[in-house]
Amino acid sequence: MLVWFLPVFLVFLMIGLPVFFGLLAAPGILLYLNGQERDITLLYRNVYNGMDSFPLMAIPFFMLAGELMNKGGITMRLVEFAQALMGHLRGGLAHVNVLSSMLFAGLSGSAVADTSALGSMLIPAMEKQGYTRKFAAAITAASSVIGPIIPPSGIMIIYAYVMGESVAALFLAGIVPGAMVGIGLMIMVKILADKYDFPVASRKYTWGERGQASLKAFFPLLTPVIILGGILFGVFTPTEAAAVAVAYAMIIGFFVLRTLTIGEMPDILIRAGITSSVVMLLVGAAMAFKTVVSLSHAPEQMAAIILGLSDNPLILLFLINLLLFVVGMFLDAGPAIIILGPILGPIFIDLGVDPIHFAIIMSVNLTVGLATPPMGLVLFVASAVSGERVEAIAKAILPFLFVEIIVIFMITYIPAISMTIPRLTGFAN
Amino acid sequence: MGPLLTVLAPISFVNEHLLRLGRGIGAVAMALMVVAILIQVFFRYVLNNALPWPDEAARFCMMWMTGLMAPTAFRRGGFVAIDMLVIALPRIVGGVINLCLLLLSLLVLLVASKIGYAEVTGFGGRFTTAALYIPTALDFSEYTRVPRSWMMASLLVGVWMLVLVNIELALRAIIALFGGEDRMTPIPETASLGGAE
Repeated sequence: MLVWFLPVFLVFLMIGLPVFFGLLAAPGILLYLNGQERDITLLYRNVYNGMDSFPLMAIPFFMLAGELMNKGGITMRLVEFAQALMGHLRGGLAHVNVLSSMLFAGLSGSAVADTSALGSMLIPAMEKQGYTRKFAAAITAASSVIGPIIPPSGIMIIYAYVMGESVAALFLAGIVPGAMVGIGLMIMVKILADKYDFPVASRKYTWGERGQASLKAFFPLLTPVIILGGILFGVFTPTEAAAVAVAYAMIIGFFVLRTLTIGEMPDILIRAGITSSVVMLLVGAAMAFKTVVSLSHAPEQMAAIILGLSDNPLILLFLINLLLFVVGMFLDAGPAIIILGPILGPIFIDLGVDPIHFAIIMSVNLTVGLATPPMGLVLFVASAVSGERVEAIAKAILPFLFVEIIVIFMITYIPAISMTIPRLTGFAN
Repeated sequence: MGPLLTVLAPISFVNEHLLRLGRGIGAVAMALMVVAILIQVFFRYVLNNALPWPDEAARFCMMWMTGLMAPTAFRRGGFVAIDMLVIALPRIVGGVINLCLLLLSLLVLLVASKIGYAEVTGFGGRFTTAALYIPTALDFSEYTRVPRSWMMASLLVGVWMLVLVNIELALRAIIALFGGEDRMTPIPETASLGGAE
């Protein structure tokens, strides 16, 4: 009977109960009806123990680092750097938008922060150059999904924690897929630019000017090097690397760029704290939910259903990608990973899919879901930033979503795309 | 409508100020977390001396930050939910479903509150933290370990604050059902929060 908590949970979710409460209410009710009232105490304990974790602390730190870099004007320097490299191409600002997202991804790991920071700067600039507002908002939203794919990544920390994987391995596995999404989007921009005769953004920069722009962006661009290098060479744990990223962002903001003030700090801390607290509660509830998933033997029953459809892992991966894509249309990536990871992960690992590979399939697919209608979070953020209707952006984003879907399938069927770097560095078998 | 608005006003006032205090303490806790971990990194890698307390101190701060700041997110609509159905339905039907969901959330929180209180005051709370000490003499000559219950209380306090917020939101939902939406003071900064995305 306990296995009914899953359909009950889905009903709660569909009628609008916040995920945090749904993760506790559905198993709680079923445990009560099943006469396992004592296990409800276990749910509470697991929420607490789930949050009381050192690795999880990386989430508030990376969020704080992202807020600091945003407020500290680092975004502007990244855009200038991207413009120096790609501004002279046809469709230059659209290319700059994508490249800036790839660079920003190495600092913040958040698609929402990417859309709001880059969108507020680039969408008006693109409009001024003759792009339609919906196109500018669409390319901003589409490229922002690179944020949680290229490390650091909030959702990968969550996945690693909930599923007991290595954060470092997931970070490393995200590098090539993130770059592929970026390059794919640039190819699509090029095709559209040639077709619709998009403007160039600026004259071609000299190598001297490019060097100057690189120098200005040097300190911000060093952040991912410090984070990944520190983790890779065993100097820091991911959590410590995140705290170092905070300190580094403060040093840049206060002493190098001198764009941050002490007066801005309370607001920055509060914003990062509020956002992190929601994620922490969700992860705590997910750990409680995971306990009931195990108690109910739901994965075994789900496995029987899924394996009944086909025993070919390639077909099952195709089907699971469809499922994830549909889920991503309605649910944000973090909660979706929290809910589906413990259910789907063990099934595919038993089928011989590498846990890191499956983590990347899930993360990339659900991250792309952030930009899909009707509930894609970054679509709403792009709409708020640009003033364009969500429906119009949702239509304009379709060519870019097409590219991202192709990348998802490439990642799914060519494991080497995500597995090569973790294997070369000894973080995966 | 009048009595409901009369009940709502003091609850809103209390929540407004309590959550502001929570945000303030939470921000300090966040800053202390960073400091603790940086001290840990500095001592381990520069001075070659692994301190035992920064890890636990940072987790202590993180738990309190979560407990004190999550209620603000809840009040501002920052808890992730698929609210398409409630929005798509006619106002009254959507309002009734919203109220039912809030009552279900309240039930979860009340059960959590009961269990949480038993946990903090029970067996688990009688232990002490592994590496956190507080001075018990003014001249710092004597120390005692921080009780584990102090850390466990973070979630309980958070749940209590969430209960208060939930009651306010439920009252607001009832008032809105009766068409009194424009007679309530709106909750400030109802901004969408991005979560880990």
